[in-house]
Amino acid sequence: MRRIVSARVADRTTADDLVQETLVRVLAATARVEPGMLEPYAIVTARNVVASMWQERDRHRRNQHRVVDLRAPEDPGTDLLAREERTAIARALERLSERERQTLLAHEVSGQDTRSLAAELGTTAGAVAAQLNRTRARLRVEYLLALERTEPPTDRCRPVLLALSSGDRRRQREVDAGRHLLECDPCARLSEPLMGRGQQRDDLTRIPIHRDGDIVAARQGARDLATRLRFSRTDLTVISTAVSEVARNIVRFAGAGEIVVELLEAPRRGIRVTARDTGPGIPDLEQALTDGYSTYHGLGLGLPGARRLMDEFAIVSEAGRGTTVTMTKWRQEG
Amino acid sequence: MTTGPALVSILRQGSYLIASIHTALDDSQMIRFQHDLIEQIGRHRSRGVIIDVAALDVVDSFGSRTLRNIAEMARLRGALTVIVGIQPDVAFAMVALGMGTGSVYTALDLEEGLAYLDSRVSKKVLGGTVIDPPQ
Ligand SMILES: [Zn+2]
Repeated sequence: MRRIVSARVADRTTADDLVQETLVRVLAATARVEPGMLEPYAIVTARNVVASMWQERDRHRRNQHRVVDLRAPEDPGTDLLAREERTAIARALERLSERERQTLLAHEVSGQDTRSLAAELGTTAGAVAAQLNRTRARLRVEYLLALERTEPPTDRCRPVLLALSSGDRRRQREVDAGRHLLECDPCARLSEPLMGRGQQRDDLTRIPIHRDGDIVAARQGARDLATRLRFSRTDLTVISTAVSEVARNIVRFAGAGEIVVELLEAPRRGIRVTARDTGPGIPDLEQALTDGYSTYHGLGLGLPGARRLMDEFAIVSEAGRGTTVTMTKWRQEG
Repeated sequence: MTTGPALVSILRQGSYLIASIHTALDDSQMIRFQHDLIEQIGRHRSRGVIIDVAALDVVDSFGSRTLRNIAEMARLRGALTVIVGIQPDVAFAMVALGMGTGSVYTALDLEEGLAYLDSRVSKKVLGGTVIDPPQ
């Protein structure tokens, strides 16, 4: 479905949104349509969704021209694509457990609410809702995997993709999703449609770090985000200075990595900076965190300096895999 | 230095150079700035250099070290350097970071920087030779 939609919509994110929306509609319809009709229905639904989006856009901006002509003749590859989409949807549904599939369909198709489902299953409505969310998250993952005809290369992949798909930040940390995406290309590719959808968080900034200029981008990104929590000017400077130091460490000693800056609401308001790289790792952390050592060995004052600037600082390094620095600055209340 | 709005400017004023950093520089831009400035000190036989960093909202360990290096190189080339315009928050962060400008002289703003240079550098030049060397 994605390719059918993509052929008509220039913007990738929009296309992915449409795919998700279509999936939901198809799911909602499975009980109402004949088994053999599921596939054509999916295709028709995909087209309708695209068409209605364009109608809406046209209402909003009548003066712009259409980027895509929906009345364009059918392209000859469509049948083949349609078959692929059908398979992907069927595969994704197959991958769910019987119980997951039935609960999802009962809710989405028959409109059974979570409370009555909970009564049937001997659990709570909250638990059912949580399970439904997990099922939808899995369905998205399995759909994308089936569409790309890939099996994830490692055992870690599916848990990571699921955590991304469900938008569960705690789980993402538990499975160290950020590091996995740095290391695993297939997951990095799949993470785009998974995270682009519904999770465009305005309380998180991710800055890829490869070269000098990215250091400036990272500290600016951190400052912009921290400004929203109304940190004092001094704290803003302190935070961006610390970010600058850890970003430079990545450029100098690892070559590639990323910095993720996120706002925290609990237990207190603050900002957390995670700097991870896929470099050689730091053999002696104790030493790297000692002032003076660093300057001699070209490490700069980066790590000890950043540690002094922030309220919390933790570093994990593994030879051959890379280093992750996590540091937090709490907002002074009042 | 590059196309587009200038990242830095280096202006000559008598026997001084006034260098202003207009925006955040990345490390390689900072190094280029260092080269340009040292080169111009030689070309103009400057006796004093003012580096205005008022536009910088971060001076990290690399920035501090580069400023110190510039001052030291300038000294070896016979010029005295004053850094002006370090913002209060930047000063705080530099100290917390464990960096500073070391023995490099700093002043609040351009005016005070110039006054300092005037007090230390003789501008009486005869036949291209300075009569009173800086004390
Ligand atoms: Zn993976």
